[in-house]
Amino acid sequence: MDDFEFNITGTHIWYYYCCPREVWLMLHQVNPDEDDANMDLGRFIHEMTYGRDKSKEISLGNIRLDIVRQDKEGLVIGEVKKSSKYLKSARMQLAFYLAELKRRGIEATGELLFPKEKKKESVTLTADIEKELMKAIAAIHCIAAESRPPQARKIGLCKNCAYKEFCWA
Amino acid sequence: MKKTLYIFSNGQLRRKDNTIFFMNEEGEQKYIPVEDTAELMVFGEVDINKRFLEFCSQQEIIVHYFNNYGYYSGTFYPREHYNSGYMILRQAEAYLNMESRVSLAQKFVTGAAQNIRQVLKYYQNRDKEVGRQLQEIEELSTKIKETCDISVLMGIEGNIREYYYKAFDVIHGQSEFVFEGRSKRPPQNAMNTLISFGNSIVYSTVLSEIYKTHLDPRIGYLHATNFRRFSLNLDIAEIFKPILVDRVIFTLIGKKMISKRDFKKDSGGLMLKENGRRVFVEELENRLKTTITHRGIGNPVSYRRLMRLELYKLEKHLMGESVYEPFVTQW
Repeated sequence: MDDFEFNITGTHIWYYYCCPREVWLMLHQVNPDEDDANMDLGRFIHEMTYGRDKSKEISLGNIRLDIVRQDKEGLVIGEVKKSSKYLKSARMQLAFYLAELKRRGIEATGELLFPKEKKKESVTLTADIEKELMKAIAAIHCIAAESRPPQARKIGLCKNCAYKEFCWA
Repeated sequence: MKKTLYIFSNGQLRRKDNTIFFMNEEGEQKYIPVEDTAELMVFGEVDINKRFLEFCSQQEIIVHYFNNYGYYSGTFYPREHYNSGYMILRQAEAYLNMESRVSLAQKFVTGAAQNIRQVLKYYQNRDKEVGRQLQEIEELSTKIKETCDISVLMGIEGNIREYYYKAFDVIHGQSEFVFEGRSKRPPQNAMNTLISFGNSIVYSTVLSEIYKTHLDPRIGYLHATNFRRFSLNLDIAEIFKPILVDRVIFTLIGKKMISKRDFKKDSGGLMLKENGRRVFVEELENRLKTTITHRGIGNPVSYRRLMRLELYKLEKHLMGESVYEPFVTQW
Protein backbone atom coordinates (compact mmCIF):
# COMPACT_ATOMS: atom_id res chain seq x y z
CA MET A 1 0.00 0.00 0.00
CA ASP A 2 2.97 2.31 -0.24
CA ASP A 3 2.27 3.59 -3.71
CA PHE A 4 -1.36 4.56 -3.65
CA GLU A 5 -2.33 8.07 -4.54
CA PHE A 6 -4.35 10.38 -2.41
CA ASN A 7 -5.01 14.03 -1.87
CA ILE A 8 -4.65 15.39 1.59
CA THR A 9 -7.85 17.02 2.71
CA GLY A 10 -8.75 19.27 5.61
CA THR A 11 -10.20 16.30 7.42
CA HIS A 12 -6.83 14.57 7.34
CA ILE A 13 -5.19 17.61 8.90
CA TRP A 14 -7.89 17.76 11.54
CA TYR A 15 -7.43 14.12 12.46
CA TYR A 16 -3.67 14.29 12.33
CA TYR A 17 -3.68 16.54 15.36
CA CYS A 18 -6.30 14.49 17.24
CA CYS A 19 -5.57 10.90 16.35
CA PRO A 20 -3.06 9.74 13.72
CA ARG A 21 -4.70 6.32 13.74
CA GLU A 22 -7.83 7.87 12.36
CA VAL A 23 -5.79 9.42 9.54
CA TRP A 24 -4.49 6.00 8.53
CA LEU A 25 -7.95 4.42 8.66
CA MET A 26 -9.47 7.23 6.60
CA LEU A 27 -6.70 6.95 4.03
CA HIS A 28 -7.43 3.26 3.66
CA GLN A 29 -11.18 3.89 3.26
CA VAL A 30 -11.84 2.11 6.51
CA ASN A 31 -14.54 4.66 7.27
CA PRO A 32 -16.12 5.14 10.66
CA ASP A 33 -19.58 3.96 11.66
CA GLU A 34 -22.00 6.34 9.94
CA ASP A 35 -24.77 5.51 12.38
CA ASP A 36 -22.83 6.82 15.32
CA ALA A 37 -24.90 9.35 17.26
CA ASN A 38 -22.13 11.93 17.22
CA MET A 39 -21.85 11.69 13.46
CA ASP A 40 -25.54 12.52 13.29
CA LEU A 41 -25.10 15.45 15.63
CA GLY A 42 -22.26 16.81 13.49
CA ARG A 43 -24.32 16.47 10.34
CA PHE A 44 -27.26 18.12 12.04
CA ILE A 45 -25.22 21.12 13.18
CA HIS A 46 -23.75 21.37 9.72
CA GLU A 47 -27.16 21.39 8.07
CA MET A 48 -29.06 23.54 10.52
CA THR A 49 -26.64 26.39 11.12
CA TYR A 50 -25.61 29.36 9.02
CA GLY A 51 -28.49 28.81 6.62
CA ARG A 52 -28.33 32.44 5.54
CA ASP A 53 -24.86 32.08 4.12
CA LYS A 54 -26.10 31.17 0.72
CA SER A 55 -22.72 30.42 -0.71
CA LYS A 56 -21.85 27.85 1.95
CA GLU A 57 -20.20 24.58 0.99
CA ILE A 58 -17.82 25.26 -1.81
CA SER A 59 -15.63 22.50 -3.16
CA LEU A 60 -12.33 23.44 -4.64
CA GLY A 61 -10.22 20.46 -5.65
CA ASN A 62 -9.47 18.59 -2.47
CA ILE A 63 -10.81 21.22 -0.10
CA ARG A 64 -14.37 21.75 0.98
CA LEU A 65 -15.27 25.02 2.56
CA ASP A 66 -18.25 25.26 4.88
CA ILE A 67 -18.81 28.99 4.41
CA VAL A 68 -17.35 31.56 2.01
CA ARG A 69 -18.13 35.24 2.53
CA GLN A 70 -16.96 38.53 1.04
CA ASP A 71 -16.33 41.07 3.83
CA LYS A 72 -15.14 44.66 3.65
CA GLU A 73 -11.63 43.45 4.45
CA GLY A 74 -11.73 40.70 1.88
CA LEU A 75 -12.60 37.03 1.53
CA VAL A 76 -13.47 35.11 4.70
CA ILE A 77 -13.80 31.35 4.84
CA GLY A 78 -15.60 29.71 7.74
CA GLU A 79 -15.32 26.26 9.22
CA VAL A 80 -18.16 25.05 11.46
CA LYS A 81 -17.24 22.86 14.43
CA LYS A 82 -19.29 21.06 17.02
CA SER A 83 -17.11 22.20 19.90
CA SER A 84 -13.96 24.17 20.56
CA LYS A 85 -12.41 21.26 22.42
CA TYR A 86 -9.89 20.46 19.74
CA LEU A 87 -8.90 23.98 18.90
CA LYS A 88 -5.45 23.13 17.64
CA SER A 89 -6.86 20.63 15.13
CA ALA A 90 -9.53 23.05 14.01
CA ARG A 91 -7.03 25.88 13.57
CA MET A 92 -4.71 23.77 11.50
CA GLN A 93 -7.52 22.49 9.33
CA LEU A 94 -8.61 26.02 8.53
CA ALA A 95 -5.01 27.11 8.02
CA PHE A 96 -4.67 24.29 5.53
CA TYR A 97 -7.62 25.67 3.56
CA LEU A 98 -6.07 29.14 3.65
CA ALA A 99 -2.79 27.73 2.40
CA GLU A 100 -4.53 25.86 -0.41
CA LEU A 101 -6.33 29.03 -1.44
CA LYS A 102 -3.06 30.94 -1.32
CA ARG A 103 -1.50 28.34 -3.58
CA ARG A 104 -4.24 29.17 -6.05
CA GLY A 105 -3.55 32.89 -5.68
CA ILE A 106 -6.46 33.69 -3.39
CA GLU A 107 -5.90 35.73 -0.23
CA ALA A 108 -8.37 35.03 2.54
CA THR A 109 -8.77 34.98 6.29
CA GLY A 110 -10.40 32.23 8.29
CA GLU A 111 -13.06 32.03 10.91
CA LEU A 112 -13.72 29.06 13.16
CA LEU A 113 -17.38 28.90 14.11
CA PHE A 114 -18.79 27.10 17.12
CA PRO A 115 -22.54 27.62 16.83
CA LYS A 116 -23.37 25.50 19.86
CA GLU A 117 -21.08 27.61 22.01
CA LYS A 118 -21.92 30.85 20.19
CA LYS A 119 -18.21 31.40 19.72
CA LYS A 120 -15.94 32.47 16.88
CA GLU A 121 -12.22 32.56 16.40
CA SER A 122 -10.29 34.08 13.55
CA VAL A 123 -7.34 32.36 11.96
CA THR A 124 -4.73 33.91 9.73
CA LEU A 125 -2.00 32.19 7.85
CA THR A 126 1.45 33.04 9.21
CA ALA A 127 4.85 31.83 8.09
CA ASP A 128 5.12 29.71 11.24
CA ILE A 129 1.78 28.05 10.67
CA GLU A 130 2.66 27.40 7.04
CA LYS A 131 5.85 25.72 8.12
CA GLU A 132 3.99 23.59 10.60
CA LEU A 133 1.47 22.60 7.95
CA MET A 134 4.26 21.40 5.69
CA LYS A 135 5.52 19.20 8.51
CA ALA A 136 2.05 17.81 9.18
CA ILE A 137 1.54 17.01 5.49
CA ALA A 138 4.86 15.19 5.36
CA ALA A 139 3.92 13.26 8.50
CA ILE A 140 0.57 12.27 7.00
CA HIS A 141 2.37 10.86 3.98
CA CYS A 142 4.52 8.82 6.35
CA ILE A 143 1.45 7.50 8.18
CA ALA A 144 -0.14 6.59 4.86
CA ALA A 145 2.90 4.58 3.86
CA GLU A 146 2.73 2.40 6.98
CA SER A 147 1.34 -1.07 6.34
CA ARG A 148 -0.62 -0.98 9.58
CA PRO A 149 -2.42 1.78 11.40
CA PRO A 150 -0.77 3.43 14.39
CA GLN A 151 -1.74 1.52 17.52
CA ALA A 152 -4.94 2.58 19.25
CA ARG A 153 -4.38 4.81 22.25
CA LYS A 154 -7.19 5.67 24.59
CA ILE A 155 -7.61 9.44 24.49
CA GLY A 156 -10.41 11.78 25.49
CA LEU A 157 -11.70 11.78 21.94
CA CYS A 158 -12.34 8.02 21.96
CA LYS A 159 -15.46 8.48 24.05
CA ASN A 160 -17.32 10.26 21.26
CA CYS A 161 -15.54 8.76 18.30
CA ALA A 162 -17.33 6.81 15.58
CA TYR A 163 -14.34 4.47 15.48
CA LYS A 164 -14.70 3.64 19.18
CA GLU A 165 -16.11 0.18 18.66
CA PHE A 166 -13.75 -0.56 15.85
CA CYS A 167 -10.68 0.34 17.91
CA TRP A 168 -11.75 -1.20 21.20
CA ALA A 169 -13.75 -4.27 20.16
CA MET B 1 -30.19 2.19 16.98
CA LYS B 2 -32.16 1.54 13.80
CA LYS B 3 -34.73 -1.21 13.89
CA THR B 4 -35.54 -4.41 12.07
CA LEU B 5 -38.97 -4.66 10.58
CA TYR B 6 -40.61 -8.05 10.10
CA ILE B 7 -43.37 -8.46 7.55
CA PHE B 8 -45.42 -11.62 7.98
CA SER B 9 -48.56 -10.78 6.04
CA ASN B 10 -49.02 -10.63 2.29
CA GLY B 11 -49.29 -7.32 0.51
CA GLN B 12 -47.45 -4.56 -1.27
CA LEU B 13 -44.34 -2.62 -0.36
CA ARG B 14 -44.05 0.79 -1.99
CA ARG B 15 -42.16 3.99 -1.78
CA LYS B 16 -44.60 6.72 -0.91
CA ASP B 17 -43.20 10.25 -0.86
CA ASN B 18 -40.12 9.87 1.29
CA THR B 19 -41.00 6.83 3.25
CA ILE B 20 -41.94 3.18 2.89
CA PHE B 21 -45.55 2.21 2.70
CA PHE B 22 -46.99 -1.24 3.29
CA MET B 23 -50.50 -2.35 2.41
CA ASN B 24 -51.65 -5.84 3.30
CA GLU B 25 -54.22 -8.00 1.53
CA GLU B 26 -57.03 -6.64 3.67
CA GLY B 27 -56.15 -3.14 2.55
CA GLU B 28 -54.70 -2.16 5.90
CA GLN B 29 -52.09 0.57 5.37
CA LYS B 30 -48.97 1.28 7.30
CA TYR B 31 -46.13 3.76 6.95
CA ILE B 32 -42.69 2.56 7.92
CA PRO B 33 -40.39 5.21 9.42
CA VAL B 34 -37.49 5.09 7.03
CA GLU B 35 -34.99 6.98 9.18
CA ASP B 36 -35.43 4.41 11.88
CA THR B 37 -35.24 1.24 9.79
CA ALA B 38 -32.07 -0.68 9.04
CA GLU B 39 -33.50 -3.84 7.54
CA LEU B 40 -36.67 -5.52 6.42
CA MET B 41 -37.32 -9.22 6.93
CA VAL B 42 -40.02 -10.28 4.54
CA PHE B 43 -41.85 -13.53 5.26
CA GLY B 44 -45.14 -12.84 3.49
CA GLU B 45 -45.85 -12.75 -0.23
CA VAL B 46 -44.97 -9.17 -0.98
CA ASP B 47 -45.06 -7.25 -4.24
CA ILE B 48 -42.29 -4.75 -4.72
CA ASN B 49 -41.17 -2.51 -7.56
CA LYS B 50 -37.95 -0.89 -8.71
CA ARG B 51 -38.85 2.46 -7.23
CA PHE B 52 -39.08 0.79 -3.85
CA LEU B 53 -35.72 -0.98 -4.26
CA GLU B 54 -34.06 2.24 -5.42
CA PHE B 55 -35.38 3.96 -2.36
CA CYS B 56 -34.01 1.15 -0.14
CA SER B 57 -30.64 1.54 -1.82
CA GLN B 58 -30.63 5.24 -1.23
CA GLN B 59 -31.62 4.78 2.41
CA GLU B 60 -29.18 1.87 2.84
CA ILE B 61 -31.96 -0.45 3.90
CA ILE B 62 -31.26 -4.12 3.34
CA VAL B 63 -34.15 -6.46 2.47
CA HIS B 64 -34.07 -10.14 3.39
CA TYR B 65 -36.73 -12.45 2.08
CA PHE B 66 -37.76 -15.86 3.27
CA ASN B 67 -39.72 -18.56 1.49
CA ASN B 68 -42.91 -20.25 2.48
CA TYR B 69 -41.07 -22.43 5.00
CA GLY B 70 -39.47 -19.46 6.68
CA TYR B 71 -36.18 -20.41 5.08
CA TYR B 72 -33.81 -17.72 3.96
CA SER B 73 -34.10 -17.29 0.21
CA GLY B 74 -32.23 -14.12 -0.60
CA THR B 75 -31.28 -10.56 0.15
CA PHE B 76 -31.53 -7.28 -1.64
CA TYR B 77 -28.07 -6.04 -0.72
CA PRO B 78 -27.89 -2.35 -1.70
CA ARG B 79 -24.69 -1.07 -3.22
CA GLU B 80 -21.85 -1.00 -0.73
CA HIS B 81 -21.49 2.19 1.23
CA TYR B 82 -18.44 1.24 3.23
CA ASN B 83 -16.11 0.57 0.37
CA SER B 84 -12.50 -0.11 1.17
CA GLY B 85 -10.38 -1.62 -1.56
CA TYR B 86 -7.69 -2.11 1.05
CA MET B 87 -9.94 -4.25 3.24
CA ILE B 88 -11.24 -6.37 0.35
CA LEU B 89 -7.66 -7.17 -0.64
CA ARG B 90 -6.74 -8.13 2.93
CA GLN B 91 -9.86 -10.28 3.14
CA ALA B 92 -9.05 -12.09 -0.09
CA GLU B 93 -5.39 -12.40 0.88
CA ALA B 94 -6.34 -14.20 4.10
CA TYR B 95 -8.58 -16.49 2.08
CA LEU B 96 -5.96 -17.37 -0.49
CA ASN B 97 -3.28 -18.12 2.09
CA MET B 98 -4.27 -21.59 3.28
CA GLU B 99 -2.56 -21.21 6.63
CA SER B 100 -4.36 -18.01 7.51
CA ARG B 101 -7.66 -19.28 6.12
CA VAL B 102 -7.48 -22.40 8.29
CA SER B 103 -6.53 -20.45 11.38
CA LEU B 104 -9.59 -18.23 10.99
CA ALA B 105 -11.83 -21.20 10.26
CA GLN B 106 -10.50 -22.84 13.43
CA LYS B 107 -11.36 -19.72 15.40
CA PHE B 108 -14.96 -19.80 14.21
CA VAL B 109 -15.35 -23.48 15.09
CA THR B 110 -13.66 -22.92 18.45
CA GLY B 111 -15.96 -19.99 19.20
CA ALA B 112 -19.01 -22.05 18.30
CA ALA B 113 -17.81 -24.99 20.43
CA GLN B 114 -17.06 -22.77 23.41
CA ASN B 115 -20.45 -21.13 23.28
CA ILE B 116 -22.10 -24.53 22.95
CA ARG B 117 -20.15 -25.58 26.00
CA GLN B 118 -21.37 -22.53 27.93
CA VAL B 119 -24.99 -23.32 27.06
CA LEU B 120 -24.57 -26.91 28.25
CA LYS B 121 -22.76 -25.80 31.42
CA TYR B 122 -25.62 -23.47 32.17
CA TYR B 123 -28.07 -26.37 32.06
CA GLN B 124 -25.70 -28.67 33.93
CA ASN B 125 -25.77 -26.13 36.74
CA ARG B 126 -29.54 -26.46 36.64
CA ASP B 127 -29.26 -30.20 37.24
CA LYS B 128 -29.79 -31.33 33.65
CA GLU B 129 -27.86 -34.46 32.84
CA VAL B 130 -25.74 -33.27 29.97
CA GLY B 131 -22.37 -34.26 31.44
CA ARG B 132 -21.69 -36.96 28.87
CA GLN B 133 -22.38 -34.65 25.93
CA LEU B 134 -20.24 -31.97 27.51
CA GLN B 135 -17.37 -34.38 27.82
CA GLU B 136 -17.69 -35.58 24.22
CA ILE B 137 -17.75 -32.00 22.99
CA GLU B 138 -14.68 -31.07 24.99
CA GLU B 139 -12.81 -34.03 23.55
CA LEU B 140 -13.84 -33.12 20.03
CA SER B 141 -12.83 -29.51 20.64
CA THR B 142 -9.23 -30.53 21.18
CA LYS B 143 -9.17 -31.83 17.60
CA ILE B 144 -9.99 -28.43 16.13
CA LYS B 145 -6.43 -27.23 16.52
CA GLU B 146 -4.94 -30.41 15.11
CA THR B 147 -6.38 -30.25 11.64
CA CYS B 148 -5.33 -28.07 8.76
CA ASP B 149 -8.08 -29.19 6.43
CA ILE B 150 -11.23 -27.11 6.15
CA SER B 151 -13.48 -30.06 5.33
CA VAL B 152 -12.20 -32.00 8.33
CA LEU B 153 -12.88 -28.91 10.39
CA MET B 154 -16.44 -28.78 9.08
CA GLY B 155 -16.73 -32.45 10.02
CA ILE B 156 -15.62 -31.79 13.59
CA GLU B 157 -18.07 -28.94 13.77
CA GLY B 158 -20.82 -31.26 12.59
CA ASN B 159 -19.90 -33.89 15.17
CA ILE B 160 -19.91 -31.32 17.95
CA ARG B 161 -23.39 -30.23 16.90
CA GLU B 162 -24.54 -33.84 16.81
CA TYR B 163 -23.59 -34.35 20.46
CA TYR B 164 -24.97 -30.97 21.31
CA TYR B 165 -28.34 -31.71 19.75
CA LYS B 166 -28.48 -34.97 21.69
CA ALA B 167 -28.55 -32.87 24.83
CA PHE B 168 -31.59 -30.91 23.66
CA ASP B 169 -34.18 -33.51 24.71
CA VAL B 170 -32.60 -33.72 28.16
CA ILE B 171 -32.65 -29.94 28.53
CA HIS B 172 -36.31 -29.29 27.73
CA GLY B 173 -37.72 -32.75 28.55
CA GLN B 174 -40.81 -32.36 26.39
CA SER B 175 -41.91 -35.22 24.18
CA GLU B 176 -43.50 -33.06 21.49
CA PHE B 177 -40.15 -31.41 20.78
CA VAL B 178 -37.97 -34.54 20.56
CA PHE B 179 -35.01 -33.94 18.29
CA GLU B 180 -34.70 -37.22 16.29
CA GLY B 181 -31.69 -36.13 14.25
CA ARG B 182 -31.16 -33.05 12.17
CA SER B 183 -33.42 -32.67 9.14
CA LYS B 184 -33.47 -29.76 6.77
CA ARG B 185 -35.17 -28.51 3.65
CA PRO B 186 -37.78 -29.18 4.76
CA PRO B 187 -37.37 -29.94 8.48
CA GLN B 188 -39.23 -33.04 9.55
CA ASN B 189 -40.20 -32.22 13.11
CA ALA B 190 -40.93 -29.31 15.40
CA MET B 191 -37.45 -28.97 16.92
CA ASN B 192 -35.78 -28.98 13.51
CA THR B 193 -38.26 -26.41 12.25
CA LEU B 194 -37.41 -24.13 15.16
CA ILE B 195 -33.66 -24.54 14.66
CA SER B 196 -33.87 -23.83 10.94
CA PHE B 197 -36.11 -20.84 11.40
CA GLY B 198 -33.91 -19.29 14.08
CA ASN B 199 -30.72 -19.94 12.15
CA SER B 200 -32.16 -18.29 9.04
CA ILE B 201 -32.82 -15.11 10.96
CA VAL B 202 -29.40 -15.09 12.55
CA TYR B 203 -27.72 -15.56 9.14
CA SER B 204 -29.52 -12.56 7.75
CA THR B 205 -28.95 -10.49 10.88
CA VAL B 206 -25.20 -11.06 10.62
CA LEU B 207 -25.39 -10.22 6.92
CA SER B 208 -27.01 -6.89 7.78
CA GLU B 209 -24.18 -6.19 10.18
CA ILE B 210 -21.59 -7.08 7.54
CA TYR B 211 -23.25 -4.51 5.30
CA LYS B 212 -22.26 -1.92 7.88
CA THR B 213 -18.60 -2.87 7.75
CA HIS B 214 -15.90 -2.87 5.10
CA LEU B 215 -16.01 -6.62 4.67
CA ASP B 216 -17.31 -8.49 1.65
CA PRO B 217 -19.94 -11.05 2.69
CA ARG B 218 -18.97 -13.35 -0.19
CA ILE B 219 -15.56 -14.19 1.25
CA GLY B 220 -15.88 -16.55 4.19
CA TYR B 221 -13.23 -18.79 5.69
CA LEU B 222 -14.95 -21.80 7.18
CA HIS B 223 -17.90 -22.02 4.81
CA ALA B 224 -16.85 -22.55 1.24
CA THR B 225 -16.65 -19.42 -0.82
CA ASN B 226 -17.76 -19.69 -4.38
CA PHE B 227 -18.20 -15.95 -4.83
CA ARG B 228 -21.81 -16.41 -5.80
CA ARG B 229 -23.39 -16.54 -2.41
CA PHE B 230 -22.81 -15.04 0.98
CA SER B 231 -20.69 -17.09 3.34
CA LEU B 232 -18.95 -14.79 5.80
CA ASN B 233 -22.26 -14.34 7.62
CA LEU B 234 -22.47 -18.12 8.04
CA ASP B 235 -19.01 -18.15 9.64
CA ILE B 236 -19.83 -15.44 12.15
CA ALA B 237 -23.29 -16.87 12.82
CA GLU B 238 -21.70 -20.13 14.05
CA ILE B 239 -20.49 -18.29 17.12
CA PHE B 240 -23.86 -16.76 17.90
CA LYS B 241 -26.28 -19.56 17.07
CA PRO B 242 -25.93 -21.42 20.40
CA ILE B 243 -26.34 -18.33 22.56
CA LEU B 244 -29.09 -16.72 20.51
CA VAL B 245 -31.17 -19.29 18.62
CA ASP B 246 -30.84 -22.31 20.89
CA ARG B 247 -31.40 -20.39 24.10
CA VAL B 248 -34.44 -18.69 22.62
CA ILE B 249 -35.82 -22.11 21.62
CA PHE B 250 -35.40 -23.42 25.18
CA THR B 251 -37.18 -20.34 26.51
CA LEU B 252 -40.01 -20.62 24.00
CA ILE B 253 -40.79 -24.25 24.70
CA GLY B 254 -39.89 -24.10 28.38
CA LYS B 255 -42.40 -21.31 28.97
CA LYS B 256 -44.85 -22.96 26.58
CA MET B 257 -44.90 -19.89 24.37
CA ILE B 258 -44.82 -22.22 21.38
CA SER B 259 -46.63 -25.54 21.23
CA LYS B 260 -47.44 -28.24 18.73
CA ARG B 261 -50.42 -26.17 17.55
CA ASP B 262 -48.08 -23.54 16.10
CA PHE B 263 -46.87 -25.90 13.39
CA LYS B 264 -48.46 -27.19 10.23
CA LYS B 265 -47.60 -29.94 7.75
CA ASP B 266 -46.63 -28.74 4.34
CA SER B 267 -45.34 -30.64 1.31
CA GLY B 268 -43.18 -33.16 3.07
CA GLY B 269 -42.13 -31.00 5.98
CA LEU B 270 -43.25 -29.17 9.05
CA MET B 271 -43.45 -25.41 9.17
CA LEU B 272 -44.19 -22.73 11.73
CA LYS B 273 -47.48 -20.92 11.39
CA GLU B 274 -47.55 -17.15 11.34
CA ASN B 275 -48.31 -16.79 15.01
CA GLY B 276 -45.45 -19.11 15.97
CA ARG B 277 -43.11 -17.08 13.78
CA ARG B 278 -44.19 -13.86 15.42
CA VAL B 279 -43.61 -15.25 18.90
CA PHE B 280 -40.20 -16.62 17.91
CA VAL B 281 -39.09 -13.42 16.24
CA GLU B 282 -40.22 -11.30 19.15
CA GLU B 283 -38.26 -13.40 21.61
CA LEU B 284 -35.18 -13.41 19.38
CA GLU B 285 -35.40 -9.65 18.95
CA ASN B 286 -35.56 -9.27 22.73
CA ARG B 287 -32.46 -11.38 22.99
CA LEU B 288 -30.67 -9.36 20.31
CA LYS B 289 -31.46 -6.18 22.21
CA THR B 290 -30.25 -7.56 25.52
CA THR B 291 -27.06 -5.83 26.56
CA ILE B 292 -23.96 -7.02 28.35
CA THR B 293 -21.10 -4.91 29.61
CA HIS B 294 -18.04 -4.82 27.43
CA ARG B 295 -14.72 -4.17 29.10
CA GLY B 296 -12.97 -2.60 26.13
CA ILE B 297 -15.73 -0.27 25.07
CA GLY B 298 -16.87 0.70 28.52
CA ASN B 299 -20.61 0.77 27.94
CA PRO B 300 -23.32 -1.84 27.53
CA VAL B 301 -23.36 -3.61 24.19
CA SER B 302 -26.31 -5.52 22.71
CA TYR B 303 -25.98 -8.98 21.22
CA ARG B 304 -26.67 -7.50 17.81
CA ARG B 305 -23.84 -5.06 18.38
CA LEU B 306 -21.60 -7.92 19.49
CA MET B 307 -21.98 -9.30 15.98
CA ARG B 308 -20.65 -6.02 14.61
CA LEU B 309 -17.78 -6.07 17.09
CA GLU B 310 -16.95 -9.57 15.92
CA LEU B 311 -16.63 -8.19 12.39
CA TYR B 312 -14.49 -5.30 13.58
CA LYS B 313 -12.21 -7.80 15.33
CA LEU B 314 -11.98 -9.72 12.09
CA GLU B 315 -11.08 -6.54 10.21
CA LYS B 316 -8.31 -5.83 12.66
CA HIS B 317 -7.07 -9.37 12.27
CA LEU B 318 -6.99 -8.95 8.50
CA MET B 319 -5.15 -5.65 8.89
CA GLY B 320 -2.49 -7.47 10.90
CA GLU B 321 -3.29 -5.50 14.03
CA SER B 322 -4.50 -8.06 16.51
CA VAL B 323 -5.23 -11.75 16.24
CA TYR B 324 -8.93 -12.51 16.05
CA GLU B 325 -10.39 -14.23 19.10
CA PRO B 326 -14.04 -15.26 19.00
CA PHE B 327 -16.60 -13.98 21.45
CA VAL B 328 -17.36 -16.46 24.21
CA THR B 329 -20.27 -15.82 26.53
CA GLN B 330 -19.58 -15.80 30.25
CA TRP B 331 -22.85 -17.35 31.32
